[in-house]
Amino acid sequence: MKIGFIGLGIMGRAMALNLVKGGHTVTVWARRTESMQPLLEAGASAADGPAEAAQGNEMVISMVADAPDVAEVMRAVAAGVEPGLVAVDMSTIAPAAARRIGEELAAVGIDFLDAPVSGGEVGAIAGTLSIMVGGSEAAFAKARPAFECMGKNIVHVGAAGAGQVTKAANQIVTGMGVLAVAEAFAFAAKNGVDRSKVREALLGGFAYSKILENHGQRMLDRNFKPGFKSWMHEKDLNIVMQTAHELGLCLPGSAATAQMFNAMVGSGMGEEDSIAVLKLLERLSGQA
Amino acid sequence: MRVGFIGLGVMGRPMAGHLQTAGHQLFVWARRPASAGDLAATLCATPAELGRCCDVVFTVVTSSADVEGLALGQDGLIEGMAPGSVLIDCSTIAPDVAREIAARLGEKGIAMLDAPVSGGAQGAIDATLAIMVGGAAAVLERVRPLLECLGRRIVHVGPNGAGQVAKVCNQMIMVAAIQAAAEAMRLAAASGVDCAGVRQALAGGSAASRVLDVMGERMVKRDFSAGIEARLHHKDFGLLLDAVRKSGVPMPLTAVVGQQLNALMAQGWGRDDTASLLRVLEVR
Repeated sequence: MKIGFIGLGIMGRAMALNLVKGGHTVTVWARRTESMQPLLEAGASAADGPAEAAQGNEMVISMVADAPDVAEVMRAVAAGVEPGLVAVDMSTIAPAAARRIGEELAAVGIDFLDAPVSGGEVGAIAGTLSIMVGGSEAAFAKARPAFECMGKNIVHVGAAGAGQVTKAANQIVTGMGVLAVAEAFAFAAKNGVDRSKVREALLGGFAYSKILENHGQRMLDRNFKPGFKSWMHEKDLNIVMQTAHELGLCLPGSAATAQMFNAMVGSGMGEEDSIAVLKLLERLSGQA
Repeated sequence: MRVGFIGLGVMGRPMAGHLQTAGHQLFVWARRPASAGDLAATLCATPAELGRCCDVVFTVVTSSADVEGLALGQDGLIEGMAPGSVLIDCSTIAPDVAREIAARLGEKGIAMLDAPVSGGAQGAIDATLAIMVGGAAAVLERVRPLLECLGRRIVHVGPNGAGQVAKVCNQMIMVAAIQAAAEAMRLAAASGVDCAGVRQALAGGSAASRVLDVMGERMVKRDFSAGIEARLHHKDFGLLLDAVRKSGVPMPLTAVVGQQLNALMAQGWGRDDTASLLRVLEVR
């Protein structure tokens, strides 16, 4: 397939590389031209802007930071292409914003999918991301071969916006999950109990989770390098809290968790992995 | 003085009346002209026209977008108000939006004060509102006699936006206090103790507060008809949590109170009083 790819950050670069490896003809564009270099070396070609990245292609993918960025690149895409293009945004943005962008693109005959991912940098490099997709069945069928180069667990959840709703739900579970593991470790340590033994014991029972296994191990190693930066998790939880406010939805656990991530960003830990919430807990209880 | 007034709702209507009673010439603009009612005011066709007629214009509307539209939108105040005239916005809006509007008006020599109020409908009727003002001190002194028609406690908090920050702090404390009163009343009831008695006993001690007085009484009497509609506090919490986020400081209590307000909205009590937070605790 001929695919345009916009946005080559930690995630986008690895995902675009997997499309090239999968035999697709890939045109890339990124705001920082130097970030295109590894893709050009792998055989992709460079576009002059988001509109050029879409022109002549069957599919264009964006992987950028936030809703205004997605709206901006998709507006540029819409201005210069033939109807029939499938536009896919794989960034994490608010469901309402995704629906709005989808409507704008539909008005000029472009099919839109919101297809945010989970699995982090490791999953992006290995091509094992979870991809949660909202949009039409037909557009999903067209995009599927591209998704299969980037991810393993690919689910068409529902209509436009449904992918982002799923991602927000994912961030609720992972945000509270990281905090839960960090609190369990702080609890064990304050009680003078070896947390690595606690982790080992819990892995056999109902408290087992990937977060306890992988993130828990990194907490024990005090390896706070991202992974998934805490400012991004804070941004995602803000999407959750804003949506809850608009809908009239009571989410006390998410609200408390969002405040912890808010504190991390405010105290200069935004660039560290979200597991650094452990350090914040330790400071609050005088364990640091 | 020639005074303009936009926003003749529960708060605005009595405030405009006080200005008129004090002898000021009143000009109004309303989306529904009927809302001017028996006010002997000159009706203007657009905010711009109202601005052209007045030395000082008051706005008391609901949202940041409303104030932005009235001030800077098509046929907005900015097109009519003369250099040297003053816009006093008594609405509760986002501090950064208040600053932006003030800056835009400032380019045309129009002064602005953010002057949100606290005290509810009763305070507006009794002219006993607390008014928290952001903007230039000299501008406040020029219009202070007008504000004195509306309230007793007029405090200059700081530059533009500072009044709205104070209002955010006010809402934070007030709604958390309503939630605390509701939880105390709920605990008393669940323990088989008379709520009225508990409230009366607390009124003499360290837990005494205006909220326990007023909202506590509503809870005891189970009178949930609005004073201030809960949906407005819910709206304010949207602004507030956004300000908290921008500050990068954790506010765990405020975050949870916000969720109780979300539940209140989901139960369909948005047009009732915020004392309905008690009813949220009773949901089974």
